[in-house]
Amino acid sequence: MKRHRSVWSLLTILMIFTAYLVFPFQMAHAANDNQLIYDEAGLLSQEDKSELNAMAHEYGAKRETDIIIFTSDNPEGRDVQEMTEDFYDEQAPGYDKAHGNAVILTLDLYHRDIYLAGFYKAKQYLDDGRLDKIREKITPDLTDGDYKLAFEKYIKTTYKYMGYKPDVNPDNIFFNIWFQLGGAVVIGGIVVGIMAYRSGGRVTVSGRTYEDASTSGVLDHQDRYIRTTTTKRKIEKNTGSGSGGGGTTKGGHSHSGSRGSF
Amino acid sequence: MPVIEYKCPNCGSGMVFDSATGMLSCPSCGRKDNIEQIPDPLKQQDFSEDNTQEYHCTSCGAVILTDPETSATTCSFCGSAVVLSDRLTGKLAPAMVIPFAVSKEEAVKAFKKWCRNGLLTPSGFMSADRIKGITGMYVPFWLYELHNHVEVHGHATKVRMYTSGDYEYTETQHFDIYRKIRLNYVKVPIDASEKMNDGLMDKLEPFPYERLKEFKSPYLAGYNAEKYSYDDEALFPRAKDKIREFIEAYIASTVSGYTAVSYTDKQIDTESKQADYCLLPVWMVHYDFRKSNYAFAMNGQTGKVVGKPPISKAKVAAWFAGIFGVSFLSLKLISWMMGGGFL
Repeated sequence: MKRHRSVWSLLTILMIFTAYLVFPFQMAHAANDNQLIYDEAGLLSQEDKSELNAMAHEYGAKRETDIIIFTSDNPEGRDVQEMTEDFYDEQAPGYDKAHGNAVILTLDLYHRDIYLAGFYKAKQYLDDGRLDKIREKITPDLTDGDYKLAFEKYIKTTYKYMGYKPDVNPDNIFFNIWFQLGGAVVIGGIVVGIMAYRSGGRVTVSGRTYEDASTSGVLDHQDRYIRTTTTKRKIEKNTGSGSGGGGTTKGGHSHSGSRGSF
Repeated sequence: MPVIEYKCPNCGSGMVFDSATGMLSCPSCGRKDNIEQIPDPLKQQDFSEDNTQEYHCTSCGAVILTDPETSATTCSFCGSAVVLSDRLTGKLAPAMVIPFAVSKEEAVKAFKKWCRNGLLTPSGFMSADRIKGITGMYVPFWLYELHNHVEVHGHATKVRMYTSGDYEYTETQHFDIYRKIRLNYVKVPIDASEKMNDGLMDKLEPFPYERLKEFKSPYLAGYNAEKYSYDDEALFPRAKDKIREFIEAYIASTVSGYTAVSYTDKQIDTESKQADYCLLPVWMVHYDFRKSNYAFAMNGQTGKVVGKPPISKAKVAAWFAGIFGVSFLSLKLISWMMGGGFL
């Protein structure tokens, strides 16, 4: 019985552990008042803005990175990448220091362009490929005008992707907590199922047991070749990884980047 | 009188079959007779087929109560081992028998050991102290010799993938295949008793056929035996069914080296060359647990135990939790090693 109890307690610990993994931020977090949401285009209500600001602080602190949102009507019609770079040079954001770790999402409402840039730690962890993934995730919501939802996704995905080492695919199925939980449930179910099934004894004879090998055998066989069919498929080239998306600001800060429209 | 007893020529007590020595032995004076050398009283007997409904014990004269299938039992009144000879002769005469090698004490011990090894059985069951009854039983089996002529036609493919330039090529070679196979199986056992669960009996196999002996009734002394309820023709479909998967596996083993095989035509012609009526030794264990009855069977030669034991929900849950935990942590570890965060 003692052994059972230890197994049960192990189970309890696992449950708590799991709950912690699935709902990581149920604990209240003191929000910083440092501004991270620069909504010059006025897409958000005051309430949404402060909510997103708190959220960006909370998640950014865990990755030691400022997660910034910058929207602009851009009446001068400037380029979105240039806007982002100038914003970084002028505002000098950064979690660790001025001009430090930061990721910036810029919305240009004039051209309806979007640009994502990662600086320093964020440049290392959010390369062009990962920024592309984030951009692809939020673009549909931006197109629909659901800005708040898109910004929330941006903050959460940034946080998530920065948790993986650079140069691995962040959407690898093995990193998915639900895949891990589901996989463990399936393995447990299969193993216990087999144990229960086998508890009543199993058949241990095969054809070999009763086969009369001296008189059995293949009398005649034929393997006739008919034809060969060949299909071909173009190999998808991974484009966009490389320095194409990123650049260097006028102030000399190099960054990764991803650009698109919505 | 269709009732046979084996009286000791020395002291007159009833003799029984002894599984340890394989001889007919007298529990009183210790006399042992080699069964293969003594004349079988069954063969000497000359009785008319009068379809006797009632048997009387030759020792005490009491009526022997039996099921209509029973061919050997013990007198419920005086305990003498009796064999009902009219149920073992004529059409009902077994050709061969495998005698018991596991004694009752060994069977109980082996059963207890088996119970202790159950990973999911409740701990109350594992002590195995509630054996309600254990019976040594010669179960009627038909041993079939089955000759099969197999002809199969099919379509097989070999797939090769390679890349050249910007393209990935999938090259599929198609083949027409044909196999003609002769496949003979000998001594395929099918239990012929209505009472016995077919699935349970199938799991008891294999029986050691090198121990097969020409049937002599003294082997049954002290045990229960049954006559067959179904003849070899009636059970032929079941025999065919049983070897079907063997045949499929054999066919598959002759078609190798392909990526995929599909059969367009499969002709299996099974012929029953011979079917021998045999008695095979099985210990039946009846067990009481939490007001339910459980029946187990044990191979009387190899000691293999089969039968569904009760399953403890708590143990299933505990095992599941343990395996779940280990798998989950392993998957986490894999993800961590691949570069994902651990938390």
